[in-house]
Formats: sequence, C-alpha cells, structure tokens
Amino acid sequence: MNLTYTGIELRRVGRDYISMFFVAVLPAFMYIVFGAAMSWSDAPVGNGNAAMYTMISMAAFGAVTATVGVGGMAAVERMQGWGRQLGLTPMSDAQYVAVKAGVAFVIALIPITLIYVLGYFTGSQGSGTAWLISALVVVLGAAVFSLYGLLAGLLFRSEAAVGAASGSLVIFAFLGNIFFPLSGTMLTVAQFTPLYGLVALARYPLTEGMMISTTGPPVEGNGLWIPVLNLVVWTIIFAVTAFLLVRRGRSRQ
Amino acid sequence: MTAHHRAPPLVIGSLVAMSTSATTAPAVQLVGVTKQFRTADGPVVAVDNIDLEVPSGQIMAFLGPNGAGKTTALDMVLGLTEPTTGTVSVHGQRPRQAVRAGRVSAVLQSGGLLRDLSVRETVQMIASTFPDPRPVDEVLEKAGITSLAGRKVSKCSGGEQQRLRFALALLPDPDLLILDEPTAGMDVTARREFWDTMRADADSGRTVIFATHYLEEADAFAQRIVMMAAGQIVADGTTTEIRARASGRTVSARVDGSALEATLAQLRSRPGVHSVTVESGRVQVHATDSDAIALALLTELGGTELEVSSGSLDQAFVALTSGGAPAAAHGHTNGQATAPTAAAATTSTTEPEGTLR
Repeated sequence: MNLTYTGIELRRVGRDYISMFFVAVLPAFMYIVFGAAMSWSDAPVGNGNAAMYTMISMAAFGAVTATVGVGGMAAVERMQGWGRQLGLTPMSDAQYVAVKAGVAFVIALIPITLIYVLGYFTGSQGSGTAWLISALVVVLGAAVFSLYGLLAGLLFRSEAAVGAASGSLVIFAFLGNIFFPLSGTMLTVAQFTPLYGLVALARYPLTEGMMISTTGPPVEGNGLWIPVLNLVVWTIIFAVTAFLLVRRGRSRQ
Repeated sequence: MTAHHRAPPLVIGSLVAMSTSATTAPAVQLVGVTKQFRTADGPVVAVDNIDLEVPSGQIMAFLGPNGAGKTTALDMVLGLTEPTTGTVSVHGQRPRQAVRAGRVSAVLQSGGLLRDLSVRETVQMIASTFPDPRPVDEVLEKAGITSLAGRKVSKCSGGEQQRLRFALALLPDPDLLILDEPTAGMDVTARREFWDTMRADADSGRTVIFATHYLEEADAFAQRIVMMAAGQIVADGTTTEIRARASGRTVSARVDGSALEATLAQLRSRPGVHSVTVESGRVQVHATDSDAIALALLTELGGTELEVSSGSLDQAFVALTSGGAPAAAHGHTNGQATAPTAAAATTSTTEPEGTLR
C-alpha cells in the first residue's frame, strides 16, 4: 500500500468541497430532518428505534455517493492520460486499484462516522451489534458501488458523467427504500433496484427483517435472501460490465 | 542492424566508441517491429517493420509528419503498447522491466496530469511509486519549476506543465529519456526555454530520444536524426547530413515547352541538385546552391517568372526519399506517397554526399 500516494489522493478528494457536501453534509442534514427531528424518532424498531433506522439509511446513502465519486474519478483520470503517466512508473494496475479502494474506503467512512456520531447524540438507539454490523455492511456494500461509478466513467468518458452517476443515486435511493418506506407495488419494484439490497442488509441487524411502513406497525418481511440476492446480482452485473468495458478499451488502443 | 546505417560519420563514431565502454547492450533496440491497429475502417499499420538501434549516450531526434508512427514507436519503447510483431528491448531488457527498474522515462505529448493537484503534490505522488527516486526538490530545481511548486496544475501554462512532466521524468534518474513532441503547442520563447533546460541536463550522459516535427529543434539538439514516414524509417543520419539535404532551396521557373527535355537533363546533371520536377508548365528544382540554379535558369536556359523559396520539411522528405539513400531502401515508395509534392516527375539525382551550405 502506497501511503504517500493514498494520502495525496485523500487530500485531493477532501479539498473538493462540493463533493464533500453531497457525500457528508447533505446525508447528515437529511438524517437530522427526517430522522432525529421527527416525532416518531423514538418509536421502537426491532433492536432499536426509528431514528437509528433513518441513521443507517442516510449513512448508506452518503457512503455510496462517496464510492461512486471515487470510482468514476478513477475511470476519467485514467482515460485523460494519467494512466499513461502511471505507465511510466513501477506502479501496477493492482497497486492502483488498491490505492483507489483505500481512498474509497476512507472517504466512505466520513459520512458513516459523521452520521453515526450525530445519531449517538441525537437519540438513535439500538443494540451494540446493530451499530457495529450495520456500519460494516454499509462500508463493504458501498465498495460495490465504486464499480457503478467506474462504469459511468468508462461509458461516457467525462467528469459530467460521474456527476450524473452520483445524481442518479438520489433516484435509486428513493427506489431502494432509503428515503421513504415504500409499500405495495412500489416495494415489489424496489426489490429489483440496486440500492435496495445494500440498505436492507445494513438495516437487518436493527430490524431483523421487519418492514417499516407509514400506515401501521412494522410487518414481517420476506426474508434475508431478497437483499442478499439483490446485492449479489447487482455486484455481478457491475463487475461483468466493467470487465467488458475495460477489455473493449484495451482492444481499441 | 548497423549495416542499415550509412558509414558512421565523425560524431556518431565517437559516440558509439564512448557507449560501448559504458554498457554492452544498446539503449534501444527495435528488430522487425510492426504495430497494427484495428479500426472501424479496417486494420491500420502504424509502424511497418522497422529496425532501429540507438547506442547509449546518443541524442537522437525522431522526425516526421503527424501520423508517421513516431508516437506509436515510442510507446512501444516505453512498454505502453505491445508490438504486433518484432521485439523491442531497452538496455537489453523488456520495456516494462526497464520502466520498473527506472532505466527509462518520458515526457508525454499531452494530458497525463491531474489538474486539481499542485505541482509539488504531483511530483510527490509519482515519486512515491519509485523505490529510490531523486529528491522532489532536486527535480523541481532541474526542471526550473521550484517557484511554481505550490501552484495548481490547472493554473500552469502549457510550457509550465511540460516542465512538470519533465520533472516527473527525472524522478527515476533514467538512463534513457524519451520526449514525445515536448514543445508542441508552446510559443517560441517557451520552446527556447524548454530546450535550454534540456541542454543543461544533457551533459549528464543520458540517452535522449525526442520526437518532433520542427526541423530546427532536431538540428539544434540532436546528434542523429531518424526520419519516419508512413510507419517506416525513410532516412537515418547525422544532423549534418540531413540538414545538407533539407536546407536547400526550391527554384522554380517557367521554361519553354520545346526545350523542356534538354533543360531538365541539363538541370539534373548539375551538382547539388536534389530533385527536378515539372508542375503545370513550371520546372521546380530543389538544390543546395539555389543561386547558381537561378542564374542558369535565367540566362542559358531561358526561364521566366523565376521564384525562389526556402526548403520545407516536405521537400527534405522528397529529397531524402527519392535520393536513393541506403536507409530508405524499403521506405522508398511509402515516403513518396506521403509527400504530395513528390509527383511522378520526381527524378533521382546524385547523392549530395554531405554537402554543407
């Protein structure tokens, strides 16, 4: 692991205040408004309360925004010639991926830490296991979405495309049951969208599979296999597409 | 390989002697290298079966028009692209190995910098990828950008960014430095300053290969010029030799149709004449001693509407590709095809044998 390189990369991302706003400040703000400040924030949910439920959701949203940005940036900077510059150094592709993964990991930790600390002081409650496991699932699941950013960058070859990919996360977050508890047909559709699996899994230690609804008490969900299958399938889709795009890029050289 | 070159004149001879004592393997060796790209319009041969050997310590210019295959050839030396056929070695190693060992580095044509980093951060970042790089402050100093260290790359001019790329290339303290059109897009002052910096570094005994399409740059800086056209090497010689061919002038005049054949024969037989062509009733003569040709055309040959223009790189190409130079053996037809001025009427003349103006 090249710490100097990773450090400068982190500084570079950290200096991008606009991205930092969308990665950390906005999700934290949404947690306060839609979680902590709501009258139902104390309502019990599984091993904790409703505030914690919103906290995990928003942390996941922030973390995914972070990893999509890092993944997309990697694709764009390589296409703009930085890849050639690195080709003149001993750095291998594997080392480059390791650095970027490290950066994505650290950047993803920013919204998670911020929102979890905020949650701790604003009434989010849950079992210790729920705090720990949910954070872990968010970090690991968010890593998958760096591939989504990479795809956008590889496909459209511009910084704007990466911005658009981050923006599209708002839609996926709605569809993924992050901002607002869905029900009925919308919930059925939601289970096929990319962010659903990640968030449902992250909330699982808290909810133990119970589905939150706006109209009544939590109801029994359809089991753990749905979010797991969702995340696995989307991971495969992202990975295979990225692999095909990278290969296409090589043959065109 | 070396049989390919013409008899090494003084400058090259001494360099070869110097290099063989330093290391056995040449700095760069290309043997039967071809690179073919697949495109939408079918395969394109960017580099067509070239052989090239650059001894250690030599400063060589790669000259040729856009699309001649210079960048592709250099990319293969840097291990950024694999040849379709043939072998490339750098100091006896495979290119990627040589890069990893820090023996070869390059200043690339464009792009390749992260705009939101500072100059110093960029150097630190690349330095961190090498096991034993030169100190950051030292390369900043050598590239003349110490005062810019804190500036964002996006705020640097094209010339300043090029100096930054040069600083990056110095980090591994390479034995071989490759510059791919290092001054493209610079104004005259920036170009001169860049070459001044390069000249200061050249004393270190590094092998330097640079691609350019400015003949003056090649002339001022290189000991040897290799000319490429349409993927092939069409000329290979010392700067003195190449300049002698390229520095001539073109004299053109209208000559009476009835006496044309006799006039052409007369002109071809004159010394220092590289080529004689006929274009829409005008005779064009590319020659070293343009004054003598002009005088002859106006007096004994009865020419009118005389014009004299200085030699362009295109004309140098014509002269070199039609001059029957040994190095141009397989590049003959291709060289002509790329130079539109080389009409069918181009005639071979005697070799100028290193004539100097």
